[in-house]
Amino acid sequence: MAPPAQSQRSQSPSQPSGKGEVSDLKVQLRQLAGSRAPGTDDSKRELFKKVISYMTVGIDVSSLFSEMVMCSATSDIVLKKMCYLYVGNYAKGNPDLALLTINFLQKDCRDEDPMIRGLALRSLCSLRVENLVEYLVGPLGSGLQDHNSYVRMVAAIGVLKLYHISSSSCIDADFPSALKALMLNDPDAQVVANCLSALQEIWSLEASTSEEASREREALLSKPVIYYFLNRIKDFSEWAQCLVLDLVGKYVPSDSSEIFDIMNLLEDRLQHANGAVVLATIKVFLHLTLSMTDVHQQVYERIKAPLLTLVSSGSQELSYAVLSHLHLLVMRAPILFSSDYKHFYCQYNEPSYVKKLKLEMLTAVANESNTYEIVTELCEYVANIDVSIARESIHAVGKIALQQYDVNAIVDRLLQFLEMEKDYVTAETLVLVKDLLRKYPQWSHDCIAVVGNISSKNVQEPKAKAALIWMLGEYSLDMSDAPYILESLVENWEDEHSAEVRLHLLTAVLKCFLRRPPETQKALGAALAAGLADSHQDVHDRALFYYRLLQYNVSVAERVVNPPKQAVSVFADTQSSEIKDRIFDEFNSLSVLYQKPSYMFTDKEHRGPFEFSEELGSLSVGESAENVISAQRVDANDNDLLLSTSEKEENRAPSNNGSAYSAPVYDGSISLPASQSSLAIDVLLGLGLPPAPAPALVPLPPPIKLNPKSALDPTTFQRKWGQLSLSLTQECSINPQGAAALMTPPALIRHMQGHSIHCIASGGQTPNFKFFFFAQKAEESAGFFLVECIINTSSSKAQIKIKADDQSTSQAFSALFQSALSKFGML
Amino acid sequence: MGEADQETLYATICREVMLEKQLTGHKVDRSICAWFWEQSISQGEFVKLPPVIASPTHYLFQIVREGITFLACTQVEMPPLMGIEFLSRVADVLSDYLGGLNEDLIKDNFVIVYELLDEMIDNGFPLTTELNILREMIAPPNFVNKVLSVVTGNTSNVSNTLPGATASCVPWRTADLKHASNEVYVDLVEEIDAIISRDGALVKCDVYGEVQVNSSLSGLPDLTLSFANPSVLNDARFHPCVRFRPWESHQILSFVPPDGQFKLMTYRIKKLKNTPIYVKPQLSSDAGTCRITVLVGIRNDPGKTIDSLMVHFQLPPCVTSADLTSNHGTVNILANKTCSWSIGRIPKDKAPSMSGTLVLEAGLERLHTFPTFKVDFKIMGVALSGLQIDKLDIKNLPNRPYKGFRALTQAGEYEVRS
Repeated sequence: MAPPAQSQRSQSPSQPSGKGEVSDLKVQLRQLAGSRAPGTDDSKRELFKKVISYMTVGIDVSSLFSEMVMCSATSDIVLKKMCYLYVGNYAKGNPDLALLTINFLQKDCRDEDPMIRGLALRSLCSLRVENLVEYLVGPLGSGLQDHNSYVRMVAAIGVLKLYHISSSSCIDADFPSALKALMLNDPDAQVVANCLSALQEIWSLEASTSEEASREREALLSKPVIYYFLNRIKDFSEWAQCLVLDLVGKYVPSDSSEIFDIMNLLEDRLQHANGAVVLATIKVFLHLTLSMTDVHQQVYERIKAPLLTLVSSGSQELSYAVLSHLHLLVMRAPILFSSDYKHFYCQYNEPSYVKKLKLEMLTAVANESNTYEIVTELCEYVANIDVSIARESIHAVGKIALQQYDVNAIVDRLLQFLEMEKDYVTAETLVLVKDLLRKYPQWSHDCIAVVGNISSKNVQEPKAKAALIWMLGEYSLDMSDAPYILESLVENWEDEHSAEVRLHLLTAVLKCFLRRPPETQKALGAALAAGLADSHQDVHDRALFYYRLLQYNVSVAERVVNPPKQAVSVFADTQSSEIKDRIFDEFNSLSVLYQKPSYMFTDKEHRGPFEFSEELGSLSVGESAENVISAQRVDANDNDLLLSTSEKEENRAPSNNGSAYSAPVYDGSISLPASQSSLAIDVLLGLGLPPAPAPALVPLPPPIKLNPKSALDPTTFQRKWGQLSLSLTQECSINPQGAAALMTPPALIRHMQGHSIHCIASGGQTPNFKFFFFAQKAEESAGFFLVECIINTSSSKAQIKIKADDQSTSQAFSALFQSALSKFGML
Repeated sequence: MGEADQETLYATICREVMLEKQLTGHKVDRSICAWFWEQSISQGEFVKLPPVIASPTHYLFQIVREGITFLACTQVEMPPLMGIEFLSRVADVLSDYLGGLNEDLIKDNFVIVYELLDEMIDNGFPLTTELNILREMIAPPNFVNKVLSVVTGNTSNVSNTLPGATASCVPWRTADLKHASNEVYVDLVEEIDAIISRDGALVKCDVYGEVQVNSSLSGLPDLTLSFANPSVLNDARFHPCVRFRPWESHQILSFVPPDGQFKLMTYRIKKLKNTPIYVKPQLSSDAGTCRITVLVGIRNDPGKTIDSLMVHFQLPPCVTSADLTSNHGTVNILANKTCSWSIGRIPKDKAPSMSGTLVLEAGLERLHTFPTFKVDFKIMGVALSGLQIDKLDIKNLPNRPYKGFRALTQAGEYEVRS
């Protein structure tokens, strides 16, 4: 006997321990092979068990092949089974050795015990060695005609196995027509089912090359064949029933009475204990009635109860699969489950994959009648220990709010989330509040009041931070602190890793600047400078664009960045309805679970490594917050901006004038550069700040008296701050006690008021505070002094900028201001 | 379908592959298991992977039973429930055959497991999964068999005949069964799932039930089972042996039973307005400690004793230590912050209560996440839904069999929020 291939052994270097034991086994098997002593079978069984267990744990025992075959001459059926198992596992890798087994397998195929005949035939067909095909055809032919159904059942599947090894020998032996005859005449349902299963596969593979096969495949869907199966459906095993139901699902009935006949016949399948049968039946019902609207609706009603029972009473794995299908149905008919929403309440112990689907269901079935209960329930989950479920729950509340008309109570609840002071709850809620504001601007007052209290330091997640920044920009008029918060964010530009946040920051600062120029001027300068130096291409481009836009014309910038917005009516769904329809065609398939049409994951070209995670990733990149259908005007902000940047770049090179870019809408309406542009952009950027006048050159001014009741409205202040040039800049140190007192900025404001210096705006967070003060000389209609005072508590520095209507008195005012500050303990 | 459904079956536990069965020609490399374990570990200990996941090369079905993962791979589109239901069936059959599911049992009996899988699936298409029939093809490795093999010297655990049912018109039953004592037992087993809010309101309450039958009857008996009040049922699913028409027209269960234990019917109850017991947790926290009290009592006397009452809950992560005592039963606090208070029966003279204090993490004034209390109980002798068996008629049987009826209600997912 040829020695077994030694090279096979080295394939399992990870388990070197098996090597010595394998050669021991070999010796022992050899000793037993020829023995006829009583008890040999028992010892063989122990050895075989060892061999199989090595095989199972992955140790390569193929070197024992010839010994195993030698030992296989036995009447013990368990030994035979183990031997078949072993042979089946290693024959493909050792075609030469497999030849050894043919003899005893063929002999077993003629055994008088039908079980041995069947098992031997199954093993013979499972060898899968091409050069042994000639030995297969004979036993298969007689197996198909065996008087025992067990052997016929094995033979039917055997034909399919033969087809996969060598399709030509299978076709040449005319096995398909033998299978067809069996399928239509055999008394045993399992034989029929196996024939059907084999034929479906053979014919659909053959159909591309053989006309006959494609005709036969069509014939499977003919009325007599379908009715033949339908009438016997109760004889089939549950799995075969799934097969038949799948076939029936492809059948097109000729008229509606036929449809009702089929549905009547299959109705009890909806109450089968096996969920696979139930779902296959539902698929048939849905397909049959697709064109009959009324009946289709009744079908929905009929399938509701069985589906809900499957969800709640089955295993968690089953729940998951059924919930995926329910989700699909509810997209088609949202009203269907609106009164059964309690079935989708999450239980504490459920795995999160079930909880997630249940949350999606709750979102989908919410309507006017049940919103209150559903949102109440969702709020319970926000305190869930499982952070991802808590997040999804907040998300669900927001989604419901976006699809409902009466959002009053929901907004209150969302705002309560912000008060829970958990980082992830705050983050998730901020994103939602932003979306809500875009749809329901009327709630801005309530929301902004709460959002204003959130310290941007507590918000770290990029999405949430971006949302907060968007709100700061958009509602900068309502949030008194907005410019200062933005300014401190700009100061930390270097530490901000997310490009999305930096992009939003640029836009927000510009928006804020256009509304409150004097307060934001510095922040804008810093933001544009930082943006221009940014290594991220998008950030750089946007900064450059804003800069040139402002240079070109501020009112145009205003129209670009702060266009009148209309509320978003419908947010774009991430999944198109076309894809949903496709998935619906594939009801009861894996695509429902992946929520993608099957071609996207079964086709080779779509199947890259980890493509799912990649696709999901790309969805969230970039301006996903701007996924808006009807409100392109809102989007225009950001998306068109980028377009117009490139437009400008192109226009610069005359040769590129004919480029494919279509002009952005704004271009048509841009007027010639307006003269009112009173701001020197370079000042903005802090590039050419006029040097502070040297105090020493100015003669000591006489002391001045201030008007304690002077008044100035913010708009005038802004205008003045913009118009006046800087008359004095001073930097001074402050003492730490004074800095500590600044923990409560209002104290300073009250103190200064006592000195007739009024605060008009203040803001910032430790360590940076910024105050704008104004004061007026005591004489009638005298000029104003405007002060910007920046205090950094950590470096104990204060920077004071003074502008005055009457430049000559600014030095005196400065002295007054500093003395007032010092009385507060600052200097 | 019709194509190679499942290509490979694995049963694995703790990263170790215990069993592998290749079903079609395209052999699946075992590295898929390594991939799977990497995934499940990367997801963290408490997050379970969904039952169907996509690997770079295959689509994997997985179910977990008793800590053992059953894994199947496919490369083609197929009905997902077929995969999941089949794996569940494999787990059920193995557990029935081996008298449980654990690593040792499977390793000791892996030859039988292979034999079973051989009969349950061929070339990726499920064949025989009916326990009664499998039992006739492959004898279970029970004690009686071992004794027999010693006595008779016949060591094969394969019956020499093929099951008669493969030829009979009732696929779930052998043609000529003989029992010395003819008896049939019918059990109503109900499970109550409920969510109760912190103010004691019933947020959700569902009752699921099963009619379990254990039949040892000779010949081909024909049974009819009827309920006194079938109107309480909302939806029902049946064993394949149940004839549909009599149920549809008169709500009568008419069937030829398989031999042995089986689930005749599972059902869902329309609505339950009240729960048998109340559990009232009260938590008040202040200055870094939380005072907790849980009261338990009978709300709606079901008429039978409430037994095996147990309340367990997970302490929130921010709790550093807990001191809990009860006036009845025992309280245990495990290292993973799971508390369980086992009460047993509710005493007649007093209402059981548990109280104590939880110490919160430094810097935390008040408790923000509140525990959910899970409650377990059993009520023997009553089906809480009120469903009652009216009568059981048996035809086609020479002598009068013994008929036994029982009922049991137990808590399923019964949780109280705080």
